[in-house]
Amino acid sequence: MSRLELITPEGLRVDGRRPKETRRIYSRTDLLAADGSSYIEMGNTKLITTVYGPKESKNNNSNSIINVEFHLASFASGSTAKKLRNDKKLMENSIAIRDIFESVLIKSFGRSEIDVFIQVLQSDGGVLAAAINGTCLALIDAGIPITDYVTACTAGYCNEQAILDLNYIEESSEVPCLTVALTPKNEKILLMNMEHRLHLDNFDSVLSLAKTGCQTIYESLDECIRK
Amino acid sequence: MLFSKSFIKKTKKGSVIKIVKEHYLRDDIDCGIPSCSSCKTESQLTDGPYIIPDTNMLYHQIDLMEHQGMQNIIILQTVLQELKHKSLPIYQRIRNLIPKKQIYVFCNEHHRETFVKTEMGESPNDRNDRAIRRATEWYVAHCNKNNFILVTDDRDNRQKAIKQGLAAKSVREYVETLPFKDILDLVANHDEVLDAQNSFTYPEHLSQIQISAGLKSGAFHQGVLSISGHNFLEATTIIKHNNEEKTIHIVGREHLNRGIQGDVVAIQVLPESEWKSSISTIVEEEVAEDLNVDEKEKIDLVPTGKVVGIIKRNWRPYCGTIDVSSVQQTSTLSAVQSVFFWSMDKRIPKIRIKTRQAQDLVGKRIIVAIDSWEKNSRYPAGHFVRVLGEVGDKQTETEVLLLEHDVPFAPFSPLVLSFLPEEGENWIVQDKHLANRRDFRGWDICSIDPPGCTDIDDALHAKLLPNGNYQVGVHIADVSHFVKPENAMDLEAQRRGTTVYLVDKRIDMLPGLLGTNLCSLRSNVDRLAFSCIWEITPQAEILSCEYTKSVIRSKNSFTYDEAQARLDDPNMNDPVSLGIKALNTLAKQLRKKRMEAGALTLASPEVRFRMENDSQDPVDVEMKELKDTNALVEEFMLLANIYVAKKIYDTFPDSSLLRRHPKPPANNFEPLIKAVAPLGIEIDPSTSKTLSDSLDNAVLPSDAYFNKLIRIMTTRCMMQAVYFCSGTLSEPDFWHYGLASPIYTHFTSPIRRYSDLQVHRLLAACIGYEKDYSSDLVDKTKVKEMCDGKMIINLVLNYRHRMAQQAARSSVELYTHLFFKGKTLQEEAYVIRILKNGFVVLIPKYGVEGIIYSSPNPDEPAVLTLNAEENVLVNGNIRIGLFNKVKVQITVNEAGEAGQRSKLCLELIEPSIKGMVKPAESKPKAKKQKTKK
Amino acid sequence: MLILKPASHADDMEVDRKEEIVTPGQVITKDLAFMRGHGTFTLNEQLVASVAGKIERVNKLVSVKPLKTRFNGEIGDVVVGRIAELGNKRWRVDIQGRQEATLLLSSINLPGGVQRRKNEADEMEMRSFFAEGDMLSAEVQAFFGDGGCSLHTRSFKYGKLRNGCLVVAPSALIKRSKSHFISLSCGVDVVLGLNGYIWVQKHVFISPEMQNQPEGLYINENDEISMEEREAISRVCNIITALVNHKQMIYETIIVFMYENSLEYQPVELLSADLQKSLIDSAISQLEAAE
Repeated sequence: MSRLELITPEGLRVDGRRPKETRRIYSRTDLLAADGSSYIEMGNTKLITTVYGPKESKNNNSNSIINVEFHLASFASGSTAKKLRNDKKLMENSIAIRDIFESVLIKSFGRSEIDVFIQVLQSDGGVLAAAINGTCLALIDAGIPITDYVTACTAGYCNEQAILDLNYIEESSEVPCLTVALTPKNEKILLMNMEHRLHLDNFDSVLSLAKTGCQTIYESLDECIRK
Repeated sequence: MLFSKSFIKKTKKGSVIKIVKEHYLRDDIDCGIPSCSSCKTESQLTDGPYIIPDTNMLYHQIDLMEHQGMQNIIILQTVLQELKHKSLPIYQRIRNLIPKKQIYVFCNEHHRETFVKTEMGESPNDRNDRAIRRATEWYVAHCNKNNFILVTDDRDNRQKAIKQGLAAKSVREYVETLPFKDILDLVANHDEVLDAQNSFTYPEHLSQIQISAGLKSGAFHQGVLSISGHNFLEATTIIKHNNEEKTIHIVGREHLNRGIQGDVVAIQVLPESEWKSSISTIVEEEVAEDLNVDEKEKIDLVPTGKVVGIIKRNWRPYCGTIDVSSVQQTSTLSAVQSVFFWSMDKRIPKIRIKTRQAQDLVGKRIIVAIDSWEKNSRYPAGHFVRVLGEVGDKQTETEVLLLEHDVPFAPFSPLVLSFLPEEGENWIVQDKHLANRRDFRGWDICSIDPPGCTDIDDALHAKLLPNGNYQVGVHIADVSHFVKPENAMDLEAQRRGTTVYLVDKRIDMLPGLLGTNLCSLRSNVDRLAFSCIWEITPQAEILSCEYTKSVIRSKNSFTYDEAQARLDDPNMNDPVSLGIKALNTLAKQLRKKRMEAGALTLASPEVRFRMENDSQDPVDVEMKELKDTNALVEEFMLLANIYVAKKIYDTFPDSSLLRRHPKPPANNFEPLIKAVAPLGIEIDPSTSKTLSDSLDNAVLPSDAYFNKLIRIMTTRCMMQAVYFCSGTLSEPDFWHYGLASPIYTHFTSPIRRYSDLQVHRLLAACIGYEKDYSSDLVDKTKVKEMCDGKMIINLVLNYRHRMAQQAARSSVELYTHLFFKGKTLQEEAYVIRILKNGFVVLIPKYGVEGIIYSSPNPDEPAVLTLNAEENVLVNGNIRIGLFNKVKVQITVNEAGEAGQRSKLCLELIEPSIKGMVKPAESKPKAKKQKTKK
Repeated sequence: MLILKPASHADDMEVDRKEEIVTPGQVITKDLAFMRGHGTFTLNEQLVASVAGKIERVNKLVSVKPLKTRFNGEIGDVVVGRIAELGNKRWRVDIQGRQEATLLLSSINLPGGVQRRKNEADEMEMRSFFAEGDMLSAEVQAFFGDGGCSLHTRSFKYGKLRNGCLVVAPSALIKRSKSHFISLSCGVDVVLGLNGYIWVQKHVFISPEMQNQPEGLYINENDEISMEEREAISRVCNIITALVNHKQMIYETIIVFMYENSLEYQPVELLSADLQKSLIDSAISQLEAAE
């Protein structure tokens, strides 16, 4: 019945953040007995990424390819819908991640492949972005050479303001949500994903905010790796 | 600077879900006190004691809060959130207040030091109270001063606060300290203890849980209470039972159980043995006692029920007057006394209020809001809000009727006006406007409207083509060019929904600059338009249709009379006149086709007032006449509406805004059919064609007015035409019964109707004019909301449309009474309804209705008695039945101190029955007597 | 938002600190004088790291050694592998690297003397030399263009492995040293494959005569192994597992120390984490004392 105020007139969002703040980020690497693994939390979105490879590929391709598999645990979101999410959306996410990282890998190893498995434990908005960040960490952990980090962040536009890092409540209300993935050093954008309509005038502010967010996340991920 | 605490667990209805939300606590929330050195936020607070209200105070005392004496308020985030859950409209009002007064909103939920975690077993209410106390404590510590007062009516909370060393007062205690005289009146009576001597008790309302359980099991039904306009102790409500809608009647004070007009209530259907008869009684406002309805006659029983609980209250502020009889004459002018208030809306019961200004308020129209209705109080309790003006004063009465019909009439705000074109009056069509428009400025276009019309929505033209066919164009003002979606002007127009036409005033939907100037298709000036162009054969077959945005230059703006003159004059052969003649021929043929298809011509008893020029009092009344030119314009407007409807539905099958007229249920016509049968007339309502034919044949050679009367009665059997969203219904339901058209919409009057503006936007998207249209256009739910909305949000097109119609009717009624003031007239009248204790007549000359009671003198026994089977009132040999012609005497009882509004008083002159007319006191002819109240 | 201190970017011209940790995308140096090694790439005349790891500078060669990586061999590395499949005049060997390695038919010692021409019969008989699943030790001979390595067993040190047990370790933990064939005093041999596969076997006494018995190279049966020998082998395996769990570098000395320290325990007890930790700590302190 009551309309949800995404940004109160005092400038606070539903969870108490200001519009340009990201959620708390926590990450760890090297948890599992895989070549590379990472655990990342962005707010309440938590996921584990594991990387195997490079290893022998069964198909004789001359390039090294990445296979990405995206899994959403059945307890991940609020409703206990079993395998409801085993659909196109996840496929799209996998393909997007694959494309991103193929462009970042340094050399093709020839006849080798890299397997990436992403398991979402809890989803509270920004799953694709978190998955990209997690994959990046895991690849670095596996020692696979890449040209640069890839960080991703969501941004939206609500009540004439651009807001950063949307959580589930904000995503499910009609706020346009733009996911941006880029390489922090030269700010090259690798992915932009949005399924809503956003007026062109507002697009710039949302994009630049997302870029800033990605930089912030980069710093956080970097610190984690250095540990 | 911040860290997260994810915790909240909630359960939703149905399944149990744990929801984890983040809740960040911050250090950068300022306190808003100007003298505080560490906090830098600007706020509107000044020095002095600050009050911290709790939720109930804001909820119940909203009128008090709006008083200027309440300043320096700190509203906590906890309180605001609770208020939002409780009542959205009150929350909106508080939000609107905040920038205007010295209020500061403190976000205590996210402040690290004032955040309070729910303890085990603590109810949310208790937790919120604790949060409020904690915040108050923090303020005291933070500013090192103890001038923060916690104001709450909850005694428990106050005691706990005092124990913690905080200052706490109840609302009344605080308000009494303020130096304003009238502020104490505004304090709502919330937990007042009523006099114990009143032993009247209503049955207890069931709790929400019991109600939901009952609803689920089918023992109770939910419906909106609709109190009868004639008898405020009778109500009906429509419930859904076994997937059909049934009307349940509720009779009597006890069964109504404190339900008020518009409330959503839970009904329990009574067993058949207790069902009531459908014939109703008229009860006037002054009746305080219950009518004992003796049910010896078990005819026409209808399902009856009683209210067992209230699901949602829909109270609003009501206009009305103080009941003089309840005012005590006291010598101390400022003593508080309890008085009764009568609302203008007869369906609302008396309200008890406390005020100091009782004597000043007598004879004035005031606004009162209801606070509560306890079960041991016969009447609801409320509080005074403000004064409107003197009773009977035209301005005041007009304001009253606008308020009662919820018509927004405040002047346009500067924000709205800021969206008008900068050039203002000097705006002209420029070349840049011509992009994507066709230039019709050379065409012979003209407009035909009532005299004195300044907002010209539509213009027409007809041209003979070389191939013998006609090119006919309907050009509508291009309002969507000036009003862009979702800006403040658009939102305000949406809120108003339509222009309201009162007898002497017009409440515009759009600012005058647009409505009467820039959008209005005035003659001899370039204007932007949206055109429909058809190619039509001389036999009125439509060959093709195209839509385009255009620029036109109307050659003439005619009145109906002027255009009729051109039509009739064979010597006028200029292109415009020829065009009108062609249009007329085509229009006649189109009309004929429509009639054959079953379109209905109904009638209304509406009349028009002629005003004396300077006095603004109505001098005479004349019935509205229809000329050829009226029909001409109507035909082409209908044609345009139908074609546009088809076009937008084609492109936007899900989200088109259309208009439908549902077929009336057969039993609506039964009383009418029964009544005319003895006169040898048959009415066949099975299809609109058969009905139309029956109406054409329903003629009494002896009485020319009879046919019109039947048409008027038929109009009352009709359903309302409504706007709807095409995605919500299936195609057969699009049918417009009255026009016999499979699809219809409103397109031709965007200046005065918001629905037309929306249709313009849809059509513009259809023709590719607007490349970037808002997603709202195709959003089915948005369109649906626009039509019907929710009860809380007032952007409701159908609601506004109805209210505008009722307001217009009330305005006519007001003027009618002004016209009759001081006069006594005798006129012919027709009986249109038979009731248990009287009958209703319609006076054709003035188009007014009135009631004649069976017993004009309440002390004496009834002069007329009801013969229920034949539905006639008898006195000896004289029978009064439906459609009988009678003669009545009309006088007006003015609205005075005691009365509500001025009322028409009628007396039966012919057939002359002893006792129906009071004998005159000192005049020879017993005609000029003011009868009972 | 967490206020993080931004990581110090090593935008310096000179890279002095050998212990510097870099992350992908970080500029190592702008000086073109350096040559780039593994784990780096050039971008706009700058040397940028592509993995996260330590910078290693050897004269003019700069490379980044990542913390974890798959085996990336050098020519001359000793590796232990398992035959994955038979191919066209070659075997494919799994060495836990990016690709399977190749062992050409021409790179093995054939029974019946050293230099012997291969004929078609040999091809058919490939399985009699190495079948799928066999463990072998070999040396990296060369690299193919696509990065795969080519192995050879042209010395009697290398060849099919038997009488022992495999322990898997991350390749980064194997320290490069002169000899990867360790003989412990307890009669246990350890082959430290640089790719992370470690073979612990019963000591085999290689006498010069055996060199002339080429048939013996490809015997598929194990010798008799006594109880004590088995115990010794399992003890060593567990020690190495302990080192792996605690991310210790693996090389001869530490294994020796740990072996001595662990003699008082049963091999199975060595699997407990606390014990492992204490043994490792004591071994480390012994090492430091020795230095």
